[in-house]
Amino acid sequence: MAAVQQTSEQVLELERYKHGFITDIDQEFAPKGLSEDTVRFISAKKGEPDWMLDWRLEAYRRWLALDEPDWARVNFPKIDYQDAYYYAAPKDKVGPDSLDEVDPELLAVYEKLGIPLKEQEFLAGVKGSAKYAVDAVFDSVSVVTTFKKELAAVGVIFCSMSEAIREHPELVRQYLGSVVPVSDNYFACLNSAVFSDGSFVYVPPGVRCPMELSTYFRINAAESGQFERTLIIADKAAYVSYLEGCTAPMRDENQLHAAVVELVLLDDAEIKYSTVQNWYPGDKDGKGGIYNFVTKRADCRGDRSKVSWTQVETGSAITWKYPSCVLRGEGSSGEFYSIAITNNHQQADTGTKMIHLGANTRSRIIAKGISAGHSTSTYRGLVSAHPKAKGARNFTQCDSLLIGKSCAAHTTPYIEARNASAKFEHEATTTRLSDDQLFYAMQRGLSQEEAVQLLVNGFVKDVLQELPMEFAVEAQKLVAISLEGSVG
Amino acid sequence: MSATARAIESGDAGLLPSRRDEDWRWSDLRGLIRAVPAPSPEDLAPLAASPFGNLAEAEMAIVNGRGPAGLTLAAGERRVVALRFVAGAGAGSHVARLAIDLGEGADLVLLETYEGGGQDYLADADLTVSLAAGARLERIVLADDSAAGVSVSRADISLAAGARLAQTVLTTGARRQRLETRVSHPGHGADVRLDGVYLLTARRHADITTIVTHEGVDGTTDQLTKGVADDQARGVFQGRIVVSPGADRTEARMGHHALILSDRAEIDGKPELEIYADDVSCAHGNTVGALDDEALFYARQRGIPETEARAMLMAAFLGEVIDRIAHEGAREIAQAWVASRLEARV
Repeated sequence: MAAVQQTSEQVLELERYKHGFITDIDQEFAPKGLSEDTVRFISAKKGEPDWMLDWRLEAYRRWLALDEPDWARVNFPKIDYQDAYYYAAPKDKVGPDSLDEVDPELLAVYEKLGIPLKEQEFLAGVKGSAKYAVDAVFDSVSVVTTFKKELAAVGVIFCSMSEAIREHPELVRQYLGSVVPVSDNYFACLNSAVFSDGSFVYVPPGVRCPMELSTYFRINAAESGQFERTLIIADKAAYVSYLEGCTAPMRDENQLHAAVVELVLLDDAEIKYSTVQNWYPGDKDGKGGIYNFVTKRADCRGDRSKVSWTQVETGSAITWKYPSCVLRGEGSSGEFYSIAITNNHQQADTGTKMIHLGANTRSRIIAKGISAGHSTSTYRGLVSAHPKAKGARNFTQCDSLLIGKSCAAHTTPYIEARNASAKFEHEATTTRLSDDQLFYAMQRGLSQEEAVQLLVNGFVKDVLQELPMEFAVEAQKLVAISLEGSVG
Repeated sequence: MSATARAIESGDAGLLPSRRDEDWRWSDLRGLIRAVPAPSPEDLAPLAASPFGNLAEAEMAIVNGRGPAGLTLAAGERRVVALRFVAGAGAGSHVARLAIDLGEGADLVLLETYEGGGQDYLADADLTVSLAAGARLERIVLADDSAAGVSVSRADISLAAGARLAQTVLTTGARRQRLETRVSHPGHGADVRLDGVYLLTARRHADITTIVTHEGVDGTTDQLTKGVADDQARGVFQGRIVVSPGADRTEARMGHHALILSDRAEIDGKPELEIYADDVSCAHGNTVGALDDEALFYARQRGIPETEARAMLMAAFLGEVIDRIAHEGAREIAQAWVASRLEARV
């Protein structure tokens, strides 16, 4: 009950999108538009080596030859790729080493965001029970990465992508683009050409990363796109848990976010990747908001490796996102837990791909979609077993909840079984909130809004409990805020 | 008109649906057929007996695309009609079109067969069926296409208020085969059962596709498709249930369950729900797996040879669908049809 009360208090306290502030920080932009020169500009700005520039230019040339995909169940006006900035960086800073060097205004931003940039507390001797190492990406540039020393002591590399290109080129060259190839899809290809920063993690063999790693992404500048690139490598028997959060200011125009996340897992490695996505969803008439076109993929190369994606998608005007698992290693396993909430005029087309290539690979998909207002939410997924994937096993459950008369919920799963020992199970349901349950809850004194929150929280519980504790609390509040005003 | 019919009539293989068409990704025709075969000649030779024997009161045969073009039942009329699509002598490519109209309260049992013989052909059948208020149609399809044939059948069925449709499609596949049914319920209270069985061996392919659109209130749809794929066969099930805005109190259930018996066989499934109304209750389930080893062990332990035990388990598995056929005579023939094909494996 406490959680529900907290949720409803939160709703009262926050009228609308709470992260909708704009911070006036001197920004440095690349010239508007996209051309080879833009790509060269970004690469030069980052002081990248030639191999990286060549890689980007190759991606740009391939991108020109690709067509924008149109199969997702989302509608939006054609994007003018020449009408956006592809690079925006807070001025006056080049990789600060400590928080002291960071623009105080920027710190204030994070404080508003409630990001646990708690390093100062730690320096002051305040030892908390939970530790988070944070990499904060502001527009296109990673501004601060905390706890680097502590992590370095156990051999974990956690830094921005540009730093990794400078300092660990051998790792970057070996793994970058090996999971999501340059021309994998339209948006990934665009990202490969113009990505400006992101996080890089390498966990050496046998190391269990001592703390949760976390990245906060924020789009601040107007008319700019954000293209971050994340690469996480878990070497043999390594473990890491990684959290990602996203916010953006309220603006009338649509902004493009096209990220690529690549996870590499060697033998016995495990990665837990959690996302709370709360980009600006647009106003209640569907004006503005972020286009979130993201390619996320994990490659379980090693035997017995395990990857787990957990996502809470509440933001963005349009979400186009399919975190996938390529289960190559024998006995490897993939999990996907998702909550996608759409309200007002949001559109979400999201799901996962479980590609079983190795023997005895297992996967599990739990997807919960909630649509309210005039929104559309689609689960789209693929489960496939290669002839060599003997004993492959999948369980999928997709449930959709409808709140209101004009929303829509769709389920489009693809199932491809190509060997006799594969065992696939899939079930899906679509229903509205049960009148009986609502009545029961209201009969016991809850307001309609509280009752809805209680039922919705119950509906998504299977997924929420997969999130790390602090994130789960935040996510639960987000669920409530996203559905605010959807009943009555 | 279907894309396949257009391709056949214009002789342009480039118009055939291909893997690039989302609804045909598992049943590519363009990649398979380089050139549309010559139009099928007229074949006036007498036909062998219908697979449904003498169950029907009347028989309509469409041979090489030639035959009757329509069937109309007056209000309140009740009939049992056999409808045969036959690839006759010298079959190349042909299109068959048929319109079926059921008046108010009419009741039709349609015993439909696809008979391919040993031919190599490209055949398309387009059916347009309309059911007036309170009409009932039970459609039982036995598809016995040739292993070398390519066959596409599409039925567009619309149901007025209170109309009822029950359909069971049984197939052994073809070189490539698509059996598509599109149902729309503009009327309220429409009631639909759409079932399917595929039983595939060798290199055969079968694609059972259904699209059900609920436009009126209080509609129900109940779907169950089961299949078995062995050797290098490929079974495809695509089911889509669309609930349009305002189609409240729709209840829809869809199930697809398949057995995959060989490492070179393939089962592809896409059960879709597309929901635009909130007062609905829709669910689908999809499972793919092998025969239950424990059940097999149990049967063998009791002295049943393995091949027979397998056939028994498959018969039981598929039997659930066949048992739902309401017309008793047709149900018995369907049971025998499946049993004889399972026995052929022993």
